[in-house]
Amino acid sequence: MKATVLRAGVVVGLIAGAIAAAVVISRARFGSREGAISGVSAPTIRIAEHRQPRIDALNKSIPRIEKQLGVVIEVVEYPAPEKDYLSKLLTELGAGNAPDLFTANFDADVPDMVSAGYLAPITAEVKAWDGYEKLFDVAKKLSTGADGQIYALDSMLLVEQIYFRRDLLDKAGISTAQPANWKDLLDRAREIKAKTGKYGLLLPAGIGWGAGGFTEGFALFVAGSKTPQIANDDGTLNLNGEGVRDIFGLYKSLIDEDLMPIKPLLGPEPWVIPKYTMFPAGDLMATTCGTWCYIYDWGKDSKNPVPDVTKNVGTWAVPGTDGGSSVKISGSNIWAVNANSAHLNLTKKVLLALCSVDSTVAYAQLLGNIPARRDAADNKDFQAMTELVPVLKNVDNGTYLKSAPGFSVVSEGVARATEALLRKQTDAAGAQAILVKYVKDLLGDNAVK
Amino acid sequence: MTLRKFTRAEATAYGFLTVTLLFCLLPFFWVFLASVDPNASLFLSVPKGITADHFIKVFTANNGRRWFFNSLVTVGATTALVVVVGGMGGYALSRTTAWWKSPFLYAIILVRVLPPTALIVPLYKFMLFANGLMSAVVRSVVPPDSARSAMQICGFVDGYLGLILVLSAMQLPLALWIIKTYFDLTPKDYEEAALMDGANGFQRMHRILVPLALPGLGAAGLLTFIGAWGDFLMPLTFISSAELQLLPIGLFRAFQRANTIDYGYLSALALLYMLPAVVAFGLARRFLIQTFTGGIKG
Amino acid sequence: MAMTYETRMAWQNRMLLVPALVLLGCFILIPAAAAIYISFTNAALNGFAASHPQFVGLKNYVRLFSDEGFWNSLIVTFYFVFGSSIVGQFVLGLASAIALSRPIAFKPVFNAAILLPNAVPEVVAGFIWISMLGGGKYSTLSRIVGLFGIAPQNWLESVPLLMIIVVNTWRGIAFAMILMTSGLSAVPAEVYEAARMDGATPRQIFWRITLPLLRPTIFLYMLVSTAGTIAIFGLIYTLTRGGPGGATEIIGIYIYNQSFTAYQLGYGSAVAVIVLGVSVAIGAIYARVLKVQV
Repeated sequence: MKATVLRAGVVVGLIAGAIAAAVVISRARFGSREGAISGVSAPTIRIAEHRQPRIDALNKSIPRIEKQLGVVIEVVEYPAPEKDYLSKLLTELGAGNAPDLFTANFDADVPDMVSAGYLAPITAEVKAWDGYEKLFDVAKKLSTGADGQIYALDSMLLVEQIYFRRDLLDKAGISTAQPANWKDLLDRAREIKAKTGKYGLLLPAGIGWGAGGFTEGFALFVAGSKTPQIANDDGTLNLNGEGVRDIFGLYKSLIDEDLMPIKPLLGPEPWVIPKYTMFPAGDLMATTCGTWCYIYDWGKDSKNPVPDVTKNVGTWAVPGTDGGSSVKISGSNIWAVNANSAHLNLTKKVLLALCSVDSTVAYAQLLGNIPARRDAADNKDFQAMTELVPVLKNVDNGTYLKSAPGFSVVSEGVARATEALLRKQTDAAGAQAILVKYVKDLLGDNAVK
Repeated sequence: MTLRKFTRAEATAYGFLTVTLLFCLLPFFWVFLASVDPNASLFLSVPKGITADHFIKVFTANNGRRWFFNSLVTVGATTALVVVVGGMGGYALSRTTAWWKSPFLYAIILVRVLPPTALIVPLYKFMLFANGLMSAVVRSVVPPDSARSAMQICGFVDGYLGLILVLSAMQLPLALWIIKTYFDLTPKDYEEAALMDGANGFQRMHRILVPLALPGLGAAGLLTFIGAWGDFLMPLTFISSAELQLLPIGLFRAFQRANTIDYGYLSALALLYMLPAVVAFGLARRFLIQTFTGGIKG
Repeated sequence: MAMTYETRMAWQNRMLLVPALVLLGCFILIPAAAAIYISFTNAALNGFAASHPQFVGLKNYVRLFSDEGFWNSLIVTFYFVFGSSIVGQFVLGLASAIALSRPIAFKPVFNAAILLPNAVPEVVAGFIWISMLGGGKYSTLSRIVGLFGIAPQNWLESVPLLMIIVVNTWRGIAFAMILMTSGLSAVPAEVYEAARMDGATPRQIFWRITLPLLRPTIFLYMLVSTAGTIAIFGLIYTLTRGGPGGATEIIGIYIYNQSFTAYQLGYGSAVAVIVLGVSVAIGAIYARVLKVQV
């Protein structure tokens, strides 16, 4: 009994000691950096960032910006997966406690954040900025909302199309010419399956893939379909059209004919096996992707690099239903300012500093997306990235998808619809019905045309 | 005849226990092996060499020390708080004969059914509100330069205090229950005797009750420690600053670097993370049994 | 101050309870009440409803009843709780308690081994089992069954529900064992002696004497374990994130997905309220079946 009391006493004592130590040490250690910079306290700007490569890229710009603007920048690390990052950010925004500056994952996220009142308008500051002229037109259009206001700036661009294994297709004797239309694309995938037994074409799908399934898969085909835009000018969403059904039909053919891997898409982090394992290994011959794939997914420093990636992996623009082709451009590193920030003006200045050539090139080096400004082409570091240089030159030829409020619901609806297709529970019309029902359930019957 | 039956029963017992032991221990082989394997991968493999590098890295890289420190401080304080508050409350619950006693007891167990994910958002808003109040108080008392570090200690959101309070509240129901059960089995004679001798409430508590109740308090405290040590949803939601991060979050993050997971580092971190909880459990078991079988035997 | 002894005692008791009530009230009851209120609104994390939530009455509940995902999740949760908590952990825990109540060697070793899975925090347990089960032919389980001639597979994809039941059973044996051990040791040895002298077989002793005497302990175990298992989130989220295709989407994960991935806070809260109602019903059922006073 005595031993027990003794032991319990030791435990309590340790705990008390730990707490006392904590108090003393934290007072000494976590002393204010703010006071240390200049004699006067410099304001602290908190920036949210996630994923190690992005954090590294951001850290490269920080010393420069701190000196330039006389602020202290604190980088807050958020959970890495896109979904979890956004969940935590939105929880904090909803409670009013988010960092001053952060990125949205996709253009589609922005309108809903605006209508929730989370973002501060930056129209005046952006238009007065000297970099505004240098932005590509498409970046300007993507950043500007229907009401002409800018709430988030697309500092970088993702150029998305279809990437294929040129080396393996050549070896199998399959044509690597640009597919003329959807039927041609499907036939090519079938040919790949017939001649090599490997998967022909991957389109992101399913609930696990989340919003990426919409932006990296579904949305690529919208421009060339019979419903070229989903967001109508009056705020409604064009989801009942033939084009939407046709795109689901495309998915259904790929799934039912076993032209794309299905099992991994039903599990967590569904892109890991198809993109990081199957494609480099040659088990998957083509997939939708973007410029970042050359560097992040298959480049020298990636987990399973494709040797000589620029030669062995080619690109096709996305064919239209009956002809034509398009390359989809969407925003990346979409910086936005917290409407509740205590330092609104300074944060806006930091935002613009992060859209400079140096900052965006730093991100490009580590992630493979391209800066949204023309003058990046003159930057030496950028010119060293030979895979990206030609892409930057062709940005003006791309198409883009207008975003509108409610797009996050559309993304989730597409995820559910494609999930049903993956599980072979329905057909194209049924998938469209799932999408429409989900959007109507959440946004009201009037939201869908 | 009797001998053979006995042996057969024994054999069954040993057999069953051995299978159960293997079942329980098997998943751990990987963690042990990977933590000393210089070429660790996600899958079980015999290491070709032994290295202590991973363990060293835990303490030198990435804020590992800070994570341990933060976890120890917050969970330690949580345990202390729960033992004190639960001790008082459990005693009161045991001795009281109020009509609401039974429903209250079952209510606090059943409320644990609510998945924490359902409570997070309202809880976050409430904490934020409290944080605003605290912030106002702190800023009026403390010079502006150290306001930030003061808030790290007593802030409700992104501060030690808030996390400690939340973790304590989560662990309190089970602690109350355990301590109440313990006091139920403790005869009132000792308290009555002390009262007769003229001791007042406080002395009574101090001299008689606390020593009597130690096994129950110990059990509750150790189970609280284990529960709070393993919680990762609360730190994930409420802590943002890098300096305040706790171990489970560090572990979770290390696992999510999809392309570049260092399994050796991860396993070493996991092993070290497991250690306090395992030790605590070893201690708790004895206390728990004493609690339920009426530890006081004169 | 002419308070009677009883009144003074009662008052002191109330005072002692106050801190516990404050903590529970602030951090559990108030958020729970708020969650119930939110379930009647269309609160969301994003979009217009985020800043202007509106009262929508029973709309979330109506949507709930026609949502396949919700019913799927309820069914999955039912199998999960039944398989791991009511059957797996209980049977193995009781058997271990009985086996360890005999005089056998190496008791501390067996004890420690059975305790270890429970001492491990959720996140760690999650990815230890990923090493065991995920990854196709490399996983430990695949390698083991390979010795018996069964094909290696990605267990988390082929039999996901079975796997999470196994993992949770693994994790919870200790709690059941501890409770059952305590319950068993409260049974006086004389009872067994008397029964044996009357010629009862071990089986008869077990079913007619041991089990009935264990009833209150079993009730407590079932109540606490069911409540705890329904609320599980981290372990399964780490293992499967609720997939593949919702096969392991226990109610905790379903609520998380609705609230944080689809951003529908109101709907997620409605589901939580239903779960709370179900658990109260289950508690009452246990009390009735096990004939225990509530």
